[in-house]
Amino acid sequence: MDFTTFAKPSTVDTNNDKSNSDLHFWKHVEYIENHGKDQDDFEYCMTEFLRMSGIYWGVTALDIMNQLDRLDRKSIIDFIRRCQCPVTGGFAPCEGHDPHMLYTLSAIQILCIYDALNEIDCEAVVRYVSGLQQFDGSFFGDKWGEVDTRFSFCAVAILTLLGRMEGTINVERAVKFVMSCCNQTDGGFGSKPGAESHAGLIYCCVGFLSLTQSLHLLDIDKLGWWLCERQLTSGGLNGRPEKLPDVCYSWWVLSSLTIMGRLHWISADKLKEFILSCQDNETGGFADRTGNLPDIFHTLFGIGALSLLGFEGLKPINPTLCMPQYVIDRLGIKPQILPKP
Amino acid sequence: MHGRLKVRTTEEERERKKKEQALKVKAYRAAMVKIQEKRLSHELDGEMLLLTSQILLRNPDVSTLWNIRRECAEQIVLKTEDLEEQQAIFETELNFSEQCLLVNPKSYNCWHHRCWILEHSPKPNWEREVQLCTKYLKMDERNFHTWDYRRYVVEKANIPKQSELDFCTEKIKVNFSNYSSWHHRSLLLPLLYPYEGEAQPKRAMSEEKLQNELEMVLTAAFTDPNDSSAWFYQRWLLGYSRQELDVCAFRCNNKHAMLAFTNPLILDAKDVAITNSEGTVIIKLTNWHSINKTKADNVWFFSLTDNAISYKEFPKEAFLEINRSDISLKKIILKTYKESLFYFKSPNQQHAFSKNVLNELQSQLESCESLLEYEPDSKWTLLTSALLMHAIDAQKYHNKSLENLEKLQKVDALRENYYKDLASRWILEKFLLNWMDSDAVPYELDLRSENLNALYYSQYLCIADKLLLPNNLTNYSSMKQLQGFSIFEY
Ligand SMILES: [Zn+2]
Repeated sequence: MDFTTFAKPSTVDTNNDKSNSDLHFWKHVEYIENHGKDQDDFEYCMTEFLRMSGIYWGVTALDIMNQLDRLDRKSIIDFIRRCQCPVTGGFAPCEGHDPHMLYTLSAIQILCIYDALNEIDCEAVVRYVSGLQQFDGSFFGDKWGEVDTRFSFCAVAILTLLGRMEGTINVERAVKFVMSCCNQTDGGFGSKPGAESHAGLIYCCVGFLSLTQSLHLLDIDKLGWWLCERQLTSGGLNGRPEKLPDVCYSWWVLSSLTIMGRLHWISADKLKEFILSCQDNETGGFADRTGNLPDIFHTLFGIGALSLLGFEGLKPINPTLCMPQYVIDRLGIKPQILPKP
Repeated sequence: MHGRLKVRTTEEERERKKKEQALKVKAYRAAMVKIQEKRLSHELDGEMLLLTSQILLRNPDVSTLWNIRRECAEQIVLKTEDLEEQQAIFETELNFSEQCLLVNPKSYNCWHHRCWILEHSPKPNWEREVQLCTKYLKMDERNFHTWDYRRYVVEKANIPKQSELDFCTEKIKVNFSNYSSWHHRSLLLPLLYPYEGEAQPKRAMSEEKLQNELEMVLTAAFTDPNDSSAWFYQRWLLGYSRQELDVCAFRCNNKHAMLAFTNPLILDAKDVAITNSEGTVIIKLTNWHSINKTKADNVWFFSLTDNAISYKEFPKEAFLEINRSDISLKKIILKTYKESLFYFKSPNQQHAFSKNVLNELQSQLESCESLLEYEPDSKWTLLTSALLMHAIDAQKYHNKSLENLEKLQKVDALRENYYKDLASRWILEKFLLNWMDSDAVPYELDLRSENLNALYYSQYLCIADKLLLPNNLTNYSSMKQLQGFSIFEY
């Protein structure tokens, strides 16, 4: 399989911005649309192990830019159907690979955006996810037993999107496990009990608590302070103290602060500046940092963060599920969000 | 996808690289096809290990290939009962995963593979794994995969906590700027030196150890005042934590009752009752509603109108009894105001530190002050001295600590609103402390002349009849807990 079949032919009108103070809107559209058009591209080939997530990143970014029709819905849905494992019900990143919680979430997210959950066996997905919960409330990523708070997030996100949180998993224990990963020093979360706080995992745990309506368990002021300290003079945010800024961490910190009602604790203008400086004004796409090579992962998180900051011309994004808000509304889902103090 | 610099290359170089990559793509595809064929025909043999290793050494993220290698190991365990032979495949996997870690020490797959191998191996050598971590932490002392793995193998190898603490101290001595080491330390100290005093929330460790740690961390912080790692640890030591779960305000008249807590909780029907001095239950308050109509809330409402009890029947000496395992104060004496009963405890009344710790804090404050004379704009010193003042005596240093926060709004403009909110919090804490002992409680709460930017502790205000907000905060007046107690309607 390749991306070629997903991209419709188009006549893209590229503009000629040289500076990075504006969003190179059409360049990014083109970048995502062309992603994978050359199936023999080295990068593309070497990332086939996460193809399902790659498609989710592209589909979501394009939908936020109101350009979803540039991809071919049918071939993407056919691809997803081929990736559902007939034995376990989970989704593989692409054909020939094994199913995993991470790609199962990506598959469900894409299907929700396309309003196409009826195309797959949802009951099998519910069985797969609930079967991975352990006695202590944690979740395995797949049958090989890796435990990580990322998988706790994936599990409740999948079940929420399917409208099947009730009676499928033990939510109380799941919450207890996530809270056992909360650190006293900074109020943040790591991947497992005792693990150092890390913005990516904080997003997963805060998102998890938002989906289980349990944000009251957070020490908002302690965690909020640690998160707003992630902003550096460049305006970008890092994932841990004394690390470099990164567009993807910008998303994780920003969405966590938004969910916690503390977005005003960082400078939105400076962050916007940083994210825009990470655009590649030749090829389109966003890199992790200014001057680096772009990729589709950072392109979604760049676009997503700009949308969260209220950037003009982008559809609103939901901070908990990282999907267009209108899709979340259509599904009738209301992840918890706290007000400003 | 991380840290790949975009470099300008010549046409020639690009062509050469393209050819090189085309060959790699071809080789990858051929190997994957072969692997999948072999897997379908259950050929989990030496050739399979070789094929998967060629790809994984370059790209350890292809998790399916790690799964296949584990299938190979399972196959051998099934085939032979000879433990030596079994051990051999596990050793192969350990060596191979270490090779991969050298290429990519941040691969989730690779570290997890090691855990799986050791868990299934007949003779796991956990001490060797601890040494491996020590080696990898020398190469990168912030790699959280290595730290996570270390905590896991240290537990398995039964390494004493004290020796882990020593390891940690060594690491910090080599480099103060190591948040990961400070974090590791913060897990060990509460276990090695538990706090047994009265303060709520509990201090992280015994006051004696706390004093040592405060000394150590300040030395570290002053070595490089711009490095944040030690300052975060310092703030934690100062007891920076949200309040213990507790009742903070209660009021009840003929019509209704309102009960507020320090933090949101889910209130259960059997939790609350009003009793007399003999402990006899006068009325059980069973049917509570969250006033914001949420699952968890910090203000709960109860309607008495359906109950056949009026204020006149309340005992002269009335108590509020709370029966929950997560709240330590179970019986609260209620005061009387006109035809109502109430209780109020102002927020964050800090339990004083021991004399030795206080002396240490005082001398740290002096050090910060003298550092500020040379570097008046040093962010971390400004913030820490404000926090020290707040910890030593919030009342005495109130104005001075607010001056620091005001200065921080300029020095550290990115977080301007954070400092504004923190100042608002401290101002309201002081206000509510005074209100508690004034004649106005619980009748009137006048915040009009307070310089507030945000409204913290709004649940504390639910028992007031009349609430006067500053002009800039009038948009908060729609909040349920600010409706005024007497006229409140659910
Ligand atoms: Zn990144």
